[in-house]
Amino acid sequence: MVKESPKKKAEGPEYIRIKFNAPRPYNWSTGKYLGKVYAEAKENKKLVGNRCPQCKEIWLPPTPVCPKCKVDMGWDWVELPQTGAVYQYTYLVYPLWDPHYGEKWANPYPSAIILLDNGVYYRHWLEEKDKEKLKAGTRVQAVWKEDYEERGQGVQDILYFRTLEE
Amino acid sequence: MPNSVAIVGIGQTYHTGRRNDVSQPEMVAEAVRAALADAQMSIKDIEAVFFGNMETFEGIYLPDHGMSAEVGAFGKPGFKVNTGGTTGASVVAEGFYMISAGLYDLALVIGFEKQDCGDTTAAITAAAVPTWAKGAATGAIGEFAKQALAYLETSGAKEEHAAMVRLKADRNACRNPYAHLRLGLKSIDEVLQSPYLVWPLRLLDFCPQSCGACALILASEQRAKKITKKPVWIADLEVVHQEPFRAGIFGDPTGKETYTQHVACERLYKRNGITNPRKDIDMAEIYEPSNWEELNLYEHLHFCDKNEGWKLIEKGVTEIEGEFPVNPSGGVTATNPIGATPVIRVAEAALQIRGDAGEHQITKDINTAMATALGGPNWTVLFLLKRSM
Amino acid sequence: MPMAERVGIIAVAQTKYHPNRTDVNEEELAYEAIKQVLEETGLTLSDMDSAVTCSQDFWDGRTISSMNIQHVVGAHLGHEDNISEDGINAVYAAMGQILSGHQHIVLVEAHTKESQGDKSLIENAAFDAIFMRQLGLDFTSAAALQARRYMYKYGITAEQCAKVVVRNRANAKNNPFAQEPMDISVDDVLGSKMLISPIRLLDTKPISDGACAMILAPEGKVKKLTRKPVWILGASNCYETHYLGDRDLANCDALVKAAQKAYNMAGITNPLRQIDVAEISTEYSYQEPLWLEGLGFCDQGEGGKLVDSRATKMGGKLPVNPSGGVLPGNPNGVAGMARVAEAVLQLRGEAGDRQVKGAKVALAHGYTGICGQHQAVMILGNM
Repeated sequence: MVKESPKKKAEGPEYIRIKFNAPRPYNWSTGKYLGKVYAEAKENKKLVGNRCPQCKEIWLPPTPVCPKCKVDMGWDWVELPQTGAVYQYTYLVYPLWDPHYGEKWANPYPSAIILLDNGVYYRHWLEEKDKEKLKAGTRVQAVWKEDYEERGQGVQDILYFRTLEE
Repeated sequence: MPNSVAIVGIGQTYHTGRRNDVSQPEMVAEAVRAALADAQMSIKDIEAVFFGNMETFEGIYLPDHGMSAEVGAFGKPGFKVNTGGTTGASVVAEGFYMISAGLYDLALVIGFEKQDCGDTTAAITAAAVPTWAKGAATGAIGEFAKQALAYLETSGAKEEHAAMVRLKADRNACRNPYAHLRLGLKSIDEVLQSPYLVWPLRLLDFCPQSCGACALILASEQRAKKITKKPVWIADLEVVHQEPFRAGIFGDPTGKETYTQHVACERLYKRNGITNPRKDIDMAEIYEPSNWEELNLYEHLHFCDKNEGWKLIEKGVTEIEGEFPVNPSGGVTATNPIGATPVIRVAEAALQIRGDAGEHQITKDINTAMATALGGPNWTVLFLLKRSM
Repeated sequence: MPMAERVGIIAVAQTKYHPNRTDVNEEELAYEAIKQVLEETGLTLSDMDSAVTCSQDFWDGRTISSMNIQHVVGAHLGHEDNISEDGINAVYAAMGQILSGHQHIVLVEAHTKESQGDKSLIENAAFDAIFMRQLGLDFTSAAALQARRYMYKYGITAEQCAKVVVRNRANAKNNPFAQEPMDISVDDVLGSKMLISPIRLLDTKPISDGACAMILAPEGKVKKLTRKPVWILGASNCYETHYLGDRDLANCDALVKAAQKAYNMAGITNPLRQIDVAEISTEYSYQEPLWLEGLGFCDQGEGGKLVDSRATKMGGKLPVNPSGGVLPGNPNGVAGMARVAEAVLQLRGEAGDRQVKGAKVALAHGYTGICGQHQAVMILGNM
């Protein structure tokens, strides 16, 4: 029950509302660095990040400049392991508007931060939809879109991370 | 020595969920007129107007242009800034720099958002890199849910503590006629019954989408003293940004990354000789998008040690009559017109220093206050306000 | 009056303007320009005290567009602000930060990839939602209204506007960054496809992607960082009113005011005599005579005559746009900052084949919005 604060109430005429529903299309380029991630995912079903020449940190999404060292990253790529452990997860209950899809939806796959086996944190979805089974520490593995033609969407070429049966 | 800058006029709209009765320019004009009335001056005296707003929330490109006549920017210099959640703070900072530089003596800074015009969550979701993970971002809600989860799991806090924060915010908001949500919440149970949006963040844990505007009139030292007997000085400010976190956008649950709040506080406190924030500063208006984030911020802003934030709320330290009041205005969970919110933090802190906060005035003397802003991938802006320099 | 210490621009860079940079995303594009100013000065991103960026959410297609580029401007745990007007205003804001004494070495950057969005749809969103947006206006259709009004009131002709195109496109041949230099005649312009009367295709600029970057510093530090400093002598900007019906589109009062304030700061009393070169932003040919009037280079209504005369040509009394300006291709938002960059190159004697000999004082101009609703002027000098 929400109470309104004392203020001028809109009385009298009904207000006319003007609705604008114009989709605005965009064509985004991945650029050179993200393009490499896309290429490795499509061609080789590999997940790669780039490594800073100075601090050696691996950046995913990749970057042309190391944010921390502020130096040019160059072109040093590292293949990331495809297995890891769930570090943290969350799941959407309430359907939200997603402008990239132009619709309201609540993604049924939980969103999670996965600690890959080489120590890099990576955010992606989990296959496990049953909330009771979700737990931090669960070991998971990437599941790729097998069809070559369907790939080419960057990290979305990985459908989700599947729980590994112990 | 840079020129000193003071706040000599404060105005805000009565923030609410829908403003069917006004267009965006008309709404902002309300705040501007209130600020001019507060400073007892006319728009003719204003030399420049600076705007802060997030265009994608209303779907209005160049909104400052659309309202140049209604708010008195017509024929005057100025520009608009856009830095996400900290937009309102960036505009106050820009006004501050321009006057400090000696380029203007009197400037109007305005933050505004009319969120009933668009879909804010969708717009925030659009902050994610479109070529990286479509459908991944869950807007601010999902991001703050992750932070809530991390806090819940590591600090020793319980969901009851987040509920206590909301009760404090609501009690304060009910004493603030400008606040948006004034719910009259009575108990922790009432808060804990509200549904989850993105687990573990509940509806009542998170800030609303409000329509509102807040305007400040900033003046140089010489002019300030002639305009008002109660100028509030912007003693210092600190702006710290960063690139988006890798494992999240607005927060980092891995605990490995540096938080801008820490860096900003270290720098600001050091420059101003603040060693015990709860003693050296009298109150704070902080930008807490969720109850959990308020607990987090108590720690990040060094109001208490790590993992002790929930103890502050439990002991009532940050209540309006407590030892260190935080958000006597009701804060962001009560009122959140995003572009205006940081300006409201500064405005409310300034009102406290002036003793003009009305029903939500803190009774003890406020000489030094802090206002904070949070936005984007956890950017921080801090303002230190003083009654006298 | 500003403080005693002046603000200098110590390095500038532009990317070569291009119709469709599919090879880079926004951060890589911005970094292309930023890298150049870092290399030229030997400074690193860590040396920057602050960054002022200029990008538009609507053009980048992302909320908080400056989130894209935080790391390439060195804003990791650093100070950054984003100005949502034309890039020349970002230079102005940076100047204010330095004059305040709170920031010192400031990196300024602007980038836009016009190729990635729909120009008309984006521009339409700038029109107020209640009255004008539903008319389906965009900047070009609004410009056509202004062109028509201006030509009607003062008798400016289509030929005079075409001369502007011919001169700018030809000047662009000397500019290594120019997108579409062209050798064309007045007849070519007048024969090009009519878009919205009276604006023809060649009266407009092509879609463009690009970035511009520069480093500003206070006087005390400038001398150590460059042997060829360029000083900002004066700068200001101004808002016009929004509704097209409220303005006499044949005038540009906002530009007159902005110019007046900038001239006062710089001590300019006779612009035509005291300014050696002008780089002004014009997305449509009719804007050149109109803006020249607003800048005080001739009386109101005499812009056409000024265009007819030799004055604005290379070698004339006041060469306008030796770089070719915006018409051969410059992205929205970058255009005004690029004018500042070109003015700096002129004053450093580094403008190559487009150099105006002995230039000591230059004017840079940029505008934002519908029919130049927001105007900004900057005066620069090398002494």
